[in-house]
Amino acid sequence: MGKRKPMHPLMMLYFLICVLALIWPGATLANRIDPMILGLPFFMVWYMAWFFIVFIGCVICYRTEDKEER
Amino acid sequence: MHDSLLITLITLGYMVLVLIVGISARKGQSSSLEGYVAGGRHLGFLILFFIFGAEIFSAFAFLGAPGWSYSKGVPALYILTYLTLGVVVWWVMAPEISEAGRKKGFLTQAEFLCDRFPSKPLGLFIGVVSLLAMIPYLTIQITGAGMLFESATGGTVPFWLGALLATVVVAIYVFVSGLQGIGWTNLLQGVIMVAIAWFLGLATTHQFFGGVGEMFLQLKEEAPEYLTMPGATGMGWGTFSTAILVSILGIVMWPHIFMKFYSADSERTLKRVFVLYPLYAYILIPILFIGFAGILLLKDTPLDEPDKVLLKVVVEMADFPAWVIGLVLSGALAAAMSTASNLAHSSATILVRDVICRLPGGERLTDLSALKLTKYGVLAISLAAYALALAKPASLVALLLGAYGIIVQLLPMLVGALWWKRATTVGAITGLALGSALTLYFQLGSSAPFGWNGGFVGLLANSAVYVIVSLLGTTAVQTTRTTKQPS
Repeated sequence: MGKRKPMHPLMMLYFLICVLALIWPGATLANRIDPMILGLPFFMVWYMAWFFIVFIGCVICYRTEDKEER
Repeated sequence: MHDSLLITLITLGYMVLVLIVGISARKGQSSSLEGYVAGGRHLGFLILFFIFGAEIFSAFAFLGAPGWSYSKGVPALYILTYLTLGVVVWWVMAPEISEAGRKKGFLTQAEFLCDRFPSKPLGLFIGVVSLLAMIPYLTIQITGAGMLFESATGGTVPFWLGALLATVVVAIYVFVSGLQGIGWTNLLQGVIMVAIAWFLGLATTHQFFGGVGEMFLQLKEEAPEYLTMPGATGMGWGTFSTAILVSILGIVMWPHIFMKFYSADSERTLKRVFVLYPLYAYILIPILFIGFAGILLLKDTPLDEPDKVLLKVVVEMADFPAWVIGLVLSGALAAAMSTASNLAHSSATILVRDVICRLPGGERLTDLSALKLTKYGVLAISLAAYALALAKPASLVALLLGAYGIIVQLLPMLVGALWWKRATTVGAITGLALGSALTLYFQLGSSAPFGWNGGFVGLLANSAVYVIVSLLGTTAVQTTRTTKQPS
């Protein structure tokens, strides 16, 4: 056990930024109602945008690991 | 009366469908414990995606999540956040766990941990605590199902009968088809839940306000405190952030989730599930809208129980035809039942593999008798959870939170088992004991420092003690490593 690399360090940094954007202190930057986008208050938009960034991060991880294995 | 009859008929039709799918899924399943518990470690992407999805869409998603947005406002995003970020933890841990399971034949969490930290009492302890968390959790799903039935049919199907129907259907298909049955029914249930969630969120806001944007504009005018932190009830950043952190780390520790890592057919399959998993958050968003709608709609008559906001708004206030309510009820029941089936199945496995097999005489069980015991365990545990749902003990949620709080404290142990060679059994158990004691202490009323989550403080203390004791007693590693795990 423990032989494989769990994740590329750059990706770890990427996800760490995601975490910090979604809790204190990152999320405090977005703690307001305006501007409303697509009818949603800004705080919610911030969260929905970061969920997508997490998703993109997972896609990047998947694709790079896929290449390494081939 | 005519309406509630139609609602009942649609829902019963749906439950018959679930039962048929669940029972026919047994085809091709090997009659071994591994086949019954882990699908022979052959589950592919589609099924696994919906099994993991069912963990998100529990009764809590349909009742609790809108309850949060109704009573607190945006702090409800906590739920979506930890579900999304939990994937990262799965990503780094699940492939190792899956591979170890394949190589060494593990089926439960305790087996994985006790392989690295050999201790019979530890395994038994993990097994018992897991059951103490999972059976109340199962009871909550069953209670949710009964509640849904009763209010959607206007009492035509009373609580006890609705809860019983859901329990019996789940128990039958899990008994017959094991993980395969859970997989195929979760797929069916997942599709229905997603459709219902989106429909409800958009149709409800449209009906009352003319759209989502209009609803939030009105909220901004009348109740802006719900739209920014700290929300309407004053949830501070420290509480919010540490609760998210604990849940991100804790989501990997739920025994019924952990055990699913064993059932994937390959690492690629697991990772494909995880890649798409963050998208589930978008499916839950429309359900939160219903809670926000409730803030405005119920301004003059606030609910005592926020968890009833979805039923109140959708069934009693909105003007939907009866067949729509029937489908909504089916979707919400799907959420409760798909999670319930996972819980009943995993609890029975834990009962047999971690508790009975570790008791004196338990080692002699053959695979076939363990399989039989597990199947009857599913029935016994489902009925026990149903009985608890009827008895409604006041301490149920406290028991769930307490036991789950202890399970989360197994996390440092798991990290050590995966990556830290110098971790010792003594260190792991000392850390676990301290972390658990602190978590329970904070849960029983004393507030944790800085308003942090009690489990988070427990984890910090747990990890510190674990590292220090392990480093002090490195020699102990050599002695314990040579002893083999009893199985």
